[in-house]
Amino acid sequence: MDSDIILVIVVVTALAFDFTNGFHDTANAIATSISTRALAPRTAVTLASILNFVGAFISLQVAATIASGIVDADLITTTVIFAGLIGAIFWNLVTWYFGLPSSSSHALIGGVVGAAFAAAGSDAILTQGLIDKVVVPAVVAPIVAFLGAGGAILITYRMIGRLRPGHVNRSYRVGQIASASLLSLSHGTNDAQKTMGIITLALVAHGSLTGEHPTPPTWVVVSSATAIALGTYSGGWRIIRTMGSRIIKMDPAQGFAAQTGGSAVLLTAAHLGFPLSTTHSITGAVLGAGAAKRLSAVRWGLAGNIVVAWILTLPAAAAVGAVTYGLSTLFGDGALGPLLISVGLLTLMGLMFGLRVRRGPALTAPAPET
Amino acid sequence: MIATIDTDALLELMWAAPLAVATVTIAYGMLVNGTVRALEARRDRRTLAAGGFAVLAVLGAALFAAAIVFGLVVMVSKD
Repeated sequence: MDSDIILVIVVVTALAFDFTNGFHDTANAIATSISTRALAPRTAVTLASILNFVGAFISLQVAATIASGIVDADLITTTVIFAGLIGAIFWNLVTWYFGLPSSSSHALIGGVVGAAFAAAGSDAILTQGLIDKVVVPAVVAPIVAFLGAGGAILITYRMIGRLRPGHVNRSYRVGQIASASLLSLSHGTNDAQKTMGIITLALVAHGSLTGEHPTPPTWVVVSSATAIALGTYSGGWRIIRTMGSRIIKMDPAQGFAAQTGGSAVLLTAAHLGFPLSTTHSITGAVLGAGAAKRLSAVRWGLAGNIVVAWILTLPAAAAVGAVTYGLSTLFGDGALGPLLISVGLLTLMGLMFGLRVRRGPALTAPAPET
Repeated sequence: MIATIDTDALLELMWAAPLAVATVTIAYGMLVNGTVRALEARRDRRTLAAGGFAVLAVLGAALFAAAIVFGLVVMVSKD
């Protein structure tokens, strides 16, 4: 009975993480399109949420691979998964509160690493996997995207510099719609599958699913797709504002260079079997598109804060994951610990939203002005 | 420790990603440049130039569309 309740709590928590992943990462796909007025804000989030939903159904190949090769798979229990999810949700909410783009995937990995460490000590962590799958891509993604988008904007200005800006700007806005759509589809494919993977893993740990490569049941696919689409539709305006207009004030050609540069780097990396973080790639590309035009156009102080948030993502989510695991087990192996922590998290989320709403609309703020 | 990192894929990424970005950028630049200049040439009754720029725009559009299709194929076929 207790294991059934824990499973339900894990599934609900995983969908809650999926929701925060959606609204946290909306900015990656549409922030530049909104700031250059390629798309109206509500149209942009509607398009992104539909494509996120569709993207979730494109491929089920990567489901159940989250944290594989990073923590010892034999030590994954439903309580470890639950604690890892809480760590990831916590970090997503903190970075959203401060309007900082950070990787939801790294937060999830960090949470699971911390919980596994608390459960079984350092033997549970596969350090090499952590370096290969988290640290190296986190360094490579922004650098390659920065250089790619920087080069792209220099090429673009060379090609269109002498043309009349009116038609050129309209054309690059249209191009941004195409690249935003591709990014949204890619986000749905990648990130909804992480939640499917987590729920599938929980079902296996619970004994509801068997087999070496279990396929996520239909209800898992549909609910994960719906949660990320709803999260995306909610629109994380604080991060959209940071990505779209606070790092640099961009023109449509820069928006196109940043978005296309970021997505070309992501898809090339995926093609080579070297997956990179969407957030790191797009943020690096936005910085590159700004810096190539004029170094002083970039707010480097804000860029520094974002990099600090990236560095803190893994340890912070891991610490919360570990503490959550510790607190859960204080109440025994039953469902009481996860239940109490879930109620506590809901209260914390309510407080954060309340504080944000008192300072201005939190989820439904108007479009960031350029 | 570094031995297990796929350095070949990493090095390939270092040149393939910027090349992909440059290709997409040039393709869309050809589309925009070709379209705008074809419209200007047609307005100035320079028919031959308008045709040439229109061809440039079509080539750019085809290349850009191919890049998007490639992106979709990568998404669908990943493992």
